[in-house]
Amino acid sequence: MIPTPQAASREPRAEAVRAAPTSPGTVVLCIDGRTVRARPGTSLLEAAGAAGIEIPTLCHHEGLEPYGGCRLCVVDVSREAWGEPRMVTACLYPAEEGLSVFTASERVLAVRREILELLLARCPESPPIRRLAREHGIVESGYRRNPEPTDCILCGLCTRLCDQLGPAAISLVGRGIGREVAPPFHEPPPDCIGCLACAAICPTGHIRFSVSDSGTTIWGRTFARLRCPTCGRSHLTAAEVDFWAARTQVARADLERCDACKRAVTAETIARLTAAG
Amino acid sequence: MEQIFRVSVERCIACGKCELACAFSHGRDGLPAASRIRVVRQGSERGIPLTCLQCHDAACVAICPMLALSRDPQSGAVRLSETRCVRCGLCVAACPFGNMLPEKGGRVAKCDLCGGTPRCVPFCPTAALEFLPAELALRGPDACRPQDTPLT
Repeated sequence: MIPTPQAASREPRAEAVRAAPTSPGTVVLCIDGRTVRARPGTSLLEAAGAAGIEIPTLCHHEGLEPYGGCRLCVVDVSREAWGEPRMVTACLYPAEEGLSVFTASERVLAVRREILELLLARCPESPPIRRLAREHGIVESGYRRNPEPTDCILCGLCTRLCDQLGPAAISLVGRGIGREVAPPFHEPPPDCIGCLACAAICPTGHIRFSVSDSGTTIWGRTFARLRCPTCGRSHLTAAEVDFWAARTQVARADLERCDACKRAVTAETIARLTAAG
Repeated sequence: MEQIFRVSVERCIACGKCELACAFSHGRDGLPAASRIRVVRQGSERGIPLTCLQCHDAACVAICPMLALSRDPQSGAVRLSETRCVRCGLCVAACPFGNMLPEKGGRVAKCDLCGGTPRCVPFCPTAALEFLPAELALRGPDACRPQDTPLT
C-alpha cells in the first residue's frame, strides 16, 4: 500500500470514531436555551444537530475534517466570565462544559445574511444559494453582481474529499479573486480516477460531468467504464478498479463484478453446500 | 452471545415475505426494491434469501475511505452512517457476496440487523430464516426445533 498523508491520518480518526460511543464523560452545554449533552470533542455544529437544532452550513461534511470555509455556521458563544459573547464557527468550535451557544441571535443572523449577500453576489444563478438566501430574507444582494457568474463557492469540499479518497487530483489554486478549484496546470488531471465523488459532494452542483455507456467524462478526461464480466453492466471506471485494487486488500475480481452477479454466485454456493449436506 | 442468521435453503419457498418485512421496517413504503434482504429466486417456489453476512473482517469496512462503515457494539452489525457516506459505491464493489445494495441516486442499503432483532425472521412462514446464537445455529436444524416459532 502506498503511504499517503490520508492513510497516515486515517488510523487515529478511525480510533476516535470507533471509541466514540463508549468513551466516558459527556459535557453539558446550553444551546439556544436548551440543555444539550455532547461527547467531549464534538463540534458545536454536531452537538446542535444531534439536539435537533439546525445550523446552516455549506462546507461541512461529517466524514471530512472541519474546514470553516463558508462561515455560514457562525454562532455566538459566551461564558459568564467573558462578558461579551464571541462569534465562532460552529463546525470548528468544540462543545465545552458550561458554554452558552446562540445559533440565531440578532448579531449572528446579521452576519449570516451578510455572508449570504456576498455568496449571492458571487453565485447569482446558483439555485441552492438563492434558496438559502431567500430563507434568510434576501432576494437581491446589496453587493455588485459578479460579472462572470459561477456556482463555485470555494468551500473546498471537492478537493478535501479527493484528498481523503486518495487521488488528490484537484486542488484550490490561485489567490484572491483568481482562486478556483482546478486540476494541476488546468490540464486534464493525470491522477483523477473518474469516481465523480467531487461532483456528488459539491453543494451547488458546480462540477460538470457526463456519464454514458461509453465512458465517464469529468475535468476534461474521459474514463472507460468497466463492464461486469458476467452481465455486462457497467458500474465503476477501469481507473477506479485499478486504483482500489492496488491500494486495498480487496480482490480485483470482486471489484469488477456487479452486485447482482456476485449475489447469484453466493446463492449458487449456498445451494450447492446445502445439497452436499 | 453472538447471534447469526441461519438460512435453511430447503425450506425457502421464495414467497418474499422477508423482503416485504424489511422494506416496511426500514420506512420506504414497503417497496421490495428498498429491501435489504434479497431472495435469489430459482424457479417459482425455490429461493435463497441473502443479506449482509456482517463479516468479521469485512471488505466494505476495509475499503470505505470515509469510515462510514463501522461495527455497532450493541447489535454486532456493520452499520452504515448515512451522514459520513459520500455515495462512492466502493462498498458495493468490494463486497464479495454482493450484499451491499445500491439504490437510485447512489445510496447504499445494507442490513443493520434491525438493531439486534431482525424483522424479516418472524415473518418467514417456513423458518427458512432464523436468527440464533452462533453455537446453536451450527448444530443443525433439529437441535433448536423449539425455537422455530414462525409468525403465521
